[in-house]
Amino acid sequence: MLSRVLVPMDDSDHAEHALEYALENFSDAEITVLHVVGVPSMMMGDAVGLSLEDDLEEAAADRAGPVFERAREVAAERDREIETVVGVGHPARNVIDRADDYDTVVVGSHGEDWNRATHRFLVGNVAETVSKRASVPVIIVR
Amino acid sequence: MISTLLLIGILVAIFVGYNIGGATTGPAFGPAVGADAISKTAAGALMTVFFFVGAWTIGRRVVDTLGRDLVHDPGVFTLEASVGVLFFIGVALFVGNVFGVPASTSMTAVGSIAGLALAAGELNWAVMGEIAIWWIVSPFIGFWVSLVIGRYFYAALNRRIAMERSEGPLFEIDRSGIVPTPALTDTTNLREVGGVVMVVAIGCLMAYSSGTSNIANAVAPLVGSGELEMNPAIIIGCLAVGIGTFTIARRTLETMGNELTELPLTAAIVTATVSATLVIFLSAIGIPASFVIIATMCIIGLGWGRATRPMTVGEAVRGEESAPVSVGALSEDREGEELPPIGEEEEPERIPKASDLFDPATTARVVLMQNVVPAIATIGAYATFRFVPIFGL
Repeated sequence: MLSRVLVPMDDSDHAEHALEYALENFSDAEITVLHVVGVPSMMMGDAVGLSLEDDLEEAAADRAGPVFERAREVAAERDREIETVVGVGHPARNVIDRADDYDTVVVGSHGEDWNRATHRFLVGNVAETVSKRASVPVIIVR
Repeated sequence: MISTLLLIGILVAIFVGYNIGGATTGPAFGPAVGADAISKTAAGALMTVFFFVGAWTIGRRVVDTLGRDLVHDPGVFTLEASVGVLFFIGVALFVGNVFGVPASTSMTAVGSIAGLALAAGELNWAVMGEIAIWWIVSPFIGFWVSLVIGRYFYAALNRRIAMERSEGPLFEIDRSGIVPTPALTDTTNLREVGGVVMVVAIGCLMAYSSGTSNIANAVAPLVGSGELEMNPAIIIGCLAVGIGTFTIARRTLETMGNELTELPLTAAIVTATVSATLVIFLSAIGIPASFVIIATMCIIGLGWGRATRPMTVGEAVRGEESAPVSVGALSEDREGEELPPIGEEEEPERIPKASDLFDPATTARVVLMQNVVPAIATIGAYATFRFVPIFGL
């Protein structure tokens, strides 16, 4: 029985589909949504902006707020609740590092920034990387 | 009598200048426009003026380097070859804008010219080597200076600069006199004016630095060919840049994910000042500087310095700074320690660490990516000039 499910999300539709899939197929499981902020970019503006904050934890939580809000709405439509956790830095690495604490990872096939060449090069395909390197089974939702 | 080919050369140079104007106004005046300190039109005007001053005073040294010193015989700059070089620079700028890969125009220009000179067997390796060494050294200088600022001075700077814009416009035009003069509105406080003046001044500094290093990219091949004198070339180039600042720059100011504008204001000011100063210095010694790479390393240096900052006991006791600061020490403490009992939470949440934001592999990828376009231009130029026999070499 899979009782702990990790759903990494960005602000894309694919991520939302992944969450919907997890909610519908793991009706008894505890679902944790992970959102990563301060993702590497061409000039590292986002990451550096975050590192300059006085309180990194609080700033990271602030930035993740909208994604979690949307995720809670999706869950509420199905009368469910979710746990949330914020990560910083490289998305795939965050997921892989945390995967041990869960029974499975449910992830969208690709994120919002996938059509940006720089993003592909710097961050890569999170679903692909996670499915190769995570220690638990990974479900990729299309 | 201007030949058709020279006309084409000038048109391509204008196209390059136009794109430079569009691409550099964002980094220079993005923070000022973003803070509502000046309008986009004012940004364009300031950009044009200070770009011209930089180009006219120091920029000509870089034009000399690219147009005369880098090649043994400026004769390689036939009009056909000059147009070819400008074409590669233009394509690089275009690719950079379309794919969002900020490509250094200067590196692309040097690469294209080096490719041409190499194909003709006229490359001055001593000059090329000097330029290449500065390309490696200058980002490190920017990185370390910013790192020191980020580690030891950022907090203090941030407190001083903290610019909170009040409601309403900064100035109102006082039309009671004969000459309308701008006057501070009631909602404006003096500290705010200081902040605004500073942001605009740094925009001007960056525009100036851009002029010193970028004018060569648009006009050096034509000056090297001897078809265009230095002064008219600089004026033509600056006019083209000016057109760019008033047209496409409006869009790039708004839409292009300009990372310098995404930074907190203090950070933008620090990185802009450090990198602009470095670029001006390099231009003064005739080295075409790669602003994008210098600025990126300044940004990363600042963030990394800040992420690894030490905390005095006093600050910790007064609670001025948040606790998880010395990143290495914190993670060591946690290892082997028993998990602290936490109220409602069943499992301890991992505290986000600033060190997670910067890893060497990602930084290496950033630097690699910024070198891709110039590298392609160099190889492309070499192959084109070597094997396509239409350039009169």
